[in-house]
Amino acid sequence: MLWHKAWRETRGRFITGLLILTVLSAAKVYEYVVAQRMMPMAESVLSGAEKTPLGDAIRDAIAVQREFRGFIWYNSFRDNLTQLGVLFAVLLGCGGLLAEAKKGSALFTLSLPVTRKQLLGARVGIGLAQCFALAMVPPLVIPLLAPVVGQSFSIIDALVHGLCLFFVGALFFSLASFLSTMFGDIWRPMLIAIVIACGAVAVQLVLPELGLFRLMSGETYFRTGALPWMGFLATAVLASALLYSAAETLERRDF
Amino acid sequence: MVSDRLAIETVDLWKRYDGIDALRGLDLQVPTGSICGFLGRNGAGKTTTIKVLLGMAKATRGVARLLGAPAVDAEVRRRVGFVSDEKDLYDYMTVDEIIAFTRPFFPKWRTDLEQKYRQKFELPGPRDIKDLSRGTRTKLALLLALCRSADLLILDEPTAGLDPAMAEDVLQALVGHVASEEMTVFFSSHQIAEVDQIADHIAIVDRGRMVVAGALDDLRDRFQRVQLVFADAAPEVRFHAPGVVRVTRDGRVLTVLTREREPLMTEAKALLPASIEVSPVTLKEIFLESVRTED
Repeated sequence: MLWHKAWRETRGRFITGLLILTVLSAAKVYEYVVAQRMMPMAESVLSGAEKTPLGDAIRDAIAVQREFRGFIWYNSFRDNLTQLGVLFAVLLGCGGLLAEAKKGSALFTLSLPVTRKQLLGARVGIGLAQCFALAMVPPLVIPLLAPVVGQSFSIIDALVHGLCLFFVGALFFSLASFLSTMFGDIWRPMLIAIVIACGAVAVQLVLPELGLFRLMSGETYFRTGALPWMGFLATAVLASALLYSAAETLERRDF
Repeated sequence: MVSDRLAIETVDLWKRYDGIDALRGLDLQVPTGSICGFLGRNGAGKTTTIKVLLGMAKATRGVARLLGAPAVDAEVRRRVGFVSDEKDLYDYMTVDEIIAFTRPFFPKWRTDLEQKYRQKFELPGPRDIKDLSRGTRTKLALLLALCRSADLLILDEPTAGLDPAMAEDVLQALVGHVASEEMTVFFSSHQIAEVDQIADHIAIVDRGRMVVAGALDDLRDRFQRVQLVFADAAPEVRFHAPGVVRVTRDGRVLTVLTREREPLMTEAKALLPASIEVSPVTLKEIFLESVRTED
């Protein structure tokens, strides 16, 4: 029943996220046709341009997007699904017992014969399952719709990119869950988690090898075909540490 | 020493919030099978005590036991029903849904009582909880507590915020339930009349300490008002007998409120008053005098 409760509390956010990410993912498949029509124009504009770092980046972006796989990676996995994926993972992690205390129903919950760890466990379990669905369903729409625009997209690629989205999404979900054991509203955990996400972008600009969003977009896999095992391991360890801290913080709380 | 005759027991219980001691060595004993009214002023420590008993707040030190088990043991809550003072439940559920949600946690859930109280309280099954009045929410919270087949029912201000008619409905339901089921009831209240109406035991807490506790009949026997009338002005006197709670002097009359009559009587007679009159005191007087002596 705790699972049911956790589901009821988060299903609105989850379904909204799933719809938005899936529609955006599908839209990018159709956008490829339009983008290909504009590609020669973009190339001609850049052909006479000077060689600058910015120009090189734009040339690389155009080169990557000539093919369907690259276009999808650049626009979906590297852009929409990464940014909105983090946002919805944070939203799913916000809330819980402290937010309930603010509404007044926490005392009823705490009078049930369950431990706080069980309460948190159910919420984390449902939240991670929702993060998994948010990470997997939108990428899997791409191989399904690709034939409609005369293209193909490997299901394996979709699954690997889904995994990359999931691991980093789960890390931000865990961060929001931890922050939610410290603050009674959903706004402060959400804002702090988003500020930390912006900090991660800044770190990535200076130290690309530590880039969370590079890992989330599956760039290594896209460019080399290698799975980012170390990245998966590091995010899993960090997420576990955050969830453990959340459980310990919750255990010590007075209601 | 923990006794299985006690449904609730705290020994030297302390709770500190942000540098302030909400409980200061509270010793509370609620006998199994009793209906114990828990009285105290605002901020005396009633809700804190209940929260510590139910594991919602951690004791700073001391012992708190429910039905013989440590208060922090989640499993013991399977045998405990609880209604909080706010009666806030899950707004996103309907009445039917919250009953269906709560039922599986309690293997001894009484579906017969569920049906009975659904009808008695006229609970609208498909209605969202957020749309219920405070009175109906209280009745729903009471149903969720009563149907658990609990050995112990803990109620924090069960009638707070209800109009007198609704409060009477809730009290009658409670009294009716307790009369037919074997259970212990521990309830906090500001309403002394309501405690007087249904409780057989009393615990009065003030500033985090127990100031009076015991069976209500015993307390009524023990607490007496002794009036000494003198031929002239009453003497200014300091009684040394144990149990003297308060002495007031008004002209020829000296009024003494005591917890123990006999030792006082010996001392009073020695003052050679014209007459001595002993009269019972009400629960309200016991309460007021008990918390006043702490000032």
